[in-house]
Amino acid sequence: MTTTTTAPPNATVFGAEVPQPPQHGKPGGIMRHLNFGTGLLAGIVGAVAAGWITAALTPTSASNATFAPTEPEYVYLAVLIGWVVGFMLGMGAFVGPVRWLLGRDITHADAEYMAGKDLGFRRYFKFTTDHKVVGIQYLVVTLVIFALGGTLAMLIRTELGVTWAELFAPTFYNTIIGTHGIAMVIAMIVVISGPVGNFIVPMMIGARDMAFPRLNALSLWLLVAAVVCLISSMFVGGIQDGWSVYYPLAAQAPPGMLGYQMTIIVFAISTGVASVNLMTTILTMRAKGMTWSRTPILVFGVFAASLMGLYAFPFYQYSQILALTDRIWDTVFFNPVQGGSVWLYENLFWLLGHPEVYVILIPSMALALEIMPVFLRRPLFSFNFAVAGIIGVVALSGLVWAHHMYMTGWAPAVNYPFMLSTEMISIPVGFLVLVAIGTFWRSTVWTRLPLMAIYAVVFNKMIGGVTGIYLSDVPADQYFHGSMFVVAHFHYMLMGAGLFGAMGGIAFYFPKMTGRILDERWGSIGLWTAFVGFQITFGSMFVAGLQGQPRRVLQFDDMFNISNWLSTIGAYVIGLGMLIFLAAIIFSWRSGDVASSNPWGSKSLEWQTATPVPLENFEVLPVVTERPYNYGVPDPYEQRMKSLDGDLGPDTRLESDDKAGVP
Amino acid sequence: MTTMTPDAPEEPTNRPAPMHRVREWMSRPYARSIMILTVVIGFILLPLCWLILAAMNQSGAPASPIMEDIQTTIFVFTLISIPITAFVFAVLVYSLLGWKHVSGDEVPADASPAIRGNFVANILWSVITSLLAMFLVVWGLMELAQITANSYGTVSADEQPGGSSALIVNVTGQQWVWTFEYPQHDGLTSDILYLPKDRAVYFNVTSKDVLHNFWAVELGVKIDANPGAITQTGVTPNKAGTFNVRCAELCGLHHAYMQTEIRVLEKDAFDSWVRENGGQRTS
Repeated sequence: MTTTTTAPPNATVFGAEVPQPPQHGKPGGIMRHLNFGTGLLAGIVGAVAAGWITAALTPTSASNATFAPTEPEYVYLAVLIGWVVGFMLGMGAFVGPVRWLLGRDITHADAEYMAGKDLGFRRYFKFTTDHKVVGIQYLVVTLVIFALGGTLAMLIRTELGVTWAELFAPTFYNTIIGTHGIAMVIAMIVVISGPVGNFIVPMMIGARDMAFPRLNALSLWLLVAAVVCLISSMFVGGIQDGWSVYYPLAAQAPPGMLGYQMTIIVFAISTGVASVNLMTTILTMRAKGMTWSRTPILVFGVFAASLMGLYAFPFYQYSQILALTDRIWDTVFFNPVQGGSVWLYENLFWLLGHPEVYVILIPSMALALEIMPVFLRRPLFSFNFAVAGIIGVVALSGLVWAHHMYMTGWAPAVNYPFMLSTEMISIPVGFLVLVAIGTFWRSTVWTRLPLMAIYAVVFNKMIGGVTGIYLSDVPADQYFHGSMFVVAHFHYMLMGAGLFGAMGGIAFYFPKMTGRILDERWGSIGLWTAFVGFQITFGSMFVAGLQGQPRRVLQFDDMFNISNWLSTIGAYVIGLGMLIFLAAIIFSWRSGDVASSNPWGSKSLEWQTATPVPLENFEVLPVVTERPYNYGVPDPYEQRMKSLDGDLGPDTRLESDDKAGVP
Repeated sequence: MTTMTPDAPEEPTNRPAPMHRVREWMSRPYARSIMILTVVIGFILLPLCWLILAAMNQSGAPASPIMEDIQTTIFVFTLISIPITAFVFAVLVYSLLGWKHVSGDEVPADASPAIRGNFVANILWSVITSLLAMFLVVWGLMELAQITANSYGTVSADEQPGGSSALIVNVTGQQWVWTFEYPQHDGLTSDILYLPKDRAVYFNVTSKDVLHNFWAVELGVKIDANPGAITQTGVTPNKAGTFNVRCAELCGLHHAYMQTEIRVLEKDAFDSWVRENGGQRTS
């Protein structure tokens, strides 16, 4: 047998000759023919094939322990698995590992191709490894999920505003509630760690790319695969049990529940991969001289979120895998009728559920602290306190989950310690608030959109934080648990602090990501319209909760009418504001003012690169010599020169001290 | 010049006395304005303490000691939160209106004072927020102990103090109705919760199918109804009247309609209700 192995010539990488692995056949191979189109095709083929085979193998009369026919369940599950595997195959996610197994390692030319070199616009539709491409892809995917979740939110508020009639069937209403919940949670988890974490963080720490570029692409396309699973669930009965899908209600649900479970299983892999990647990048690839005290605060925030995600998401994944086997193979983990435990499910779910809110909030707060020094032209007030705040939240985040279970009767005695740990969290969060107001203190404010968003964030964060204190307290929670008050509270946190922070972040990094300035006027109009609508919607939702309206209801007593009408009007205002903001993004992206490479005059590394950012970011890797945010801090070199001058000339220091002397 | 040798005399410092510095700080225009703003915003927020209770009382004033405790807690928490909230809002407002601002595309000069931390501010803030948090925790723990003592806690029905005089109600949730059984009265059942005034009532709560949450709104009682388990709580209604039971845990299609009434009756009226419905008279 003859071998076609050829040794390609050496490649020149940053001026160094690098020997290349031997190749078989034509250079490049199959990955040059794979893109989003082949991914969709392979996904659909995989789904249809898996579904058809399963349908052929499953007896139609089979039923499960609750006498529901199992065939549609099996077929739908097979379709989902076929979709995910086929899509990832068609995208080319497995090309690298397979080539490696076959002993054909990737050449420098292949690596450059995978990073999207010279591919133009096409690189956004491929399994591209360049962190900047992945960042943009994350941004677009997140916006799509927000559009879905936002539309569902409008439907929910429409139903609740139309108090005189049942607009939707209860099945449909429960479906939009559950789907809105999980879609928004997914979108909020990735909205900062995805676009900003991928696009900006490697540049911010002075790296050429992420530590594992192919895992980076994998995490993104797994998210796309998961979102398709989520959308598909709406066509097979939907997710009718809220985003928490408590057992045993979930056992009664139509096959749409499998869509939820597969979404979470795939999404947890995506998040795990992304977390490991971000953490490794941050730990090992910071530029020379970037000690921890010289690392920007956003990097700490993204690291903290990844760390929390890394331990929280496995619980979520296990809970859904166990729920899946309960459903498909009649195992008994959660179904109390046969001896399972609903409390086991609740614990597993909230072991994710509470760290998860900090996975959303901490990057948003860190982003706010990152934006403020640039627009206030001064250092962060107490960098150490900001870091301590983040560390404190991370440390406590894993110890508070059972405050979601105060009223379950699971273990009344543990309510005491969980109340203690939950209320303790207000101390590190208070540190972050201190740093924020300390940085505002005596500042000249550059009133640009990114900074103005931070005002909205701090305002909402205070309201969300104070109402969180009520909910962390067991006696008060005995009234508020399961009411609209809770809904209003977590919207203030996740949307008011999280999403408005993300909007500021998008406006801030827009020039670097797209090369254009986000339209200040329309962006601001959108932001403030949404802000006003937000206060109306969730302010009146607090009132509805205080009056005693339970959450997730589609009809209610007349006494709740006024607060719900107001809430619905506010929701439409939010929708209008968000549409304006979205339009500002789209039009600015297409034809906005061209930005310079550093329009905000920032001192961070990511703004020192050219725009558009070249592949590999930096021609020569930077060396960091000072702490971040040294705005208005005299250059130590100049200071040294001045002090030398002083040595040579007359001593002016004592004189000036005398003048400033206080009797 | 600036190097210090052990022999050199200490440089003279013109650091004024602490009280003097505090007075100097207080006399700064922005410090005074922010303090005034804090007080003004605080007073604007103050009515919230009562507005919150007013909203809670819209369906009916508290009808049990538990609910009274809950409302006291909420009142105190609102009151405690107002100073810090008012201060943060005051800084936000003053930074928008009081300190300088610039607009336009031009990157402004680095004119803000480069403050990197302030020892006094850090310590003050940490101590104050920690003390407030500690107060909230201690208050919460004590109130929880109080409420637990007032309700069922974890002790089973037979071991309750004065168990014989207490009324026991077995609450069963099922999609989408509540059933109330009175085991001391020949298993009398009702879909409206009748309770006697001023008598301890203990609930054994369970479910036939999925999770529900038994929420007696004006009584301040809330506990999950779990299939396959009995959760226990209790209350002593101290006001006669009609109140609400709602389900506070999503339980499927008609979750919204899973509500019923509580009728708290005087002792005699309750006894006659029991007799009329076939239960034997007790106590």
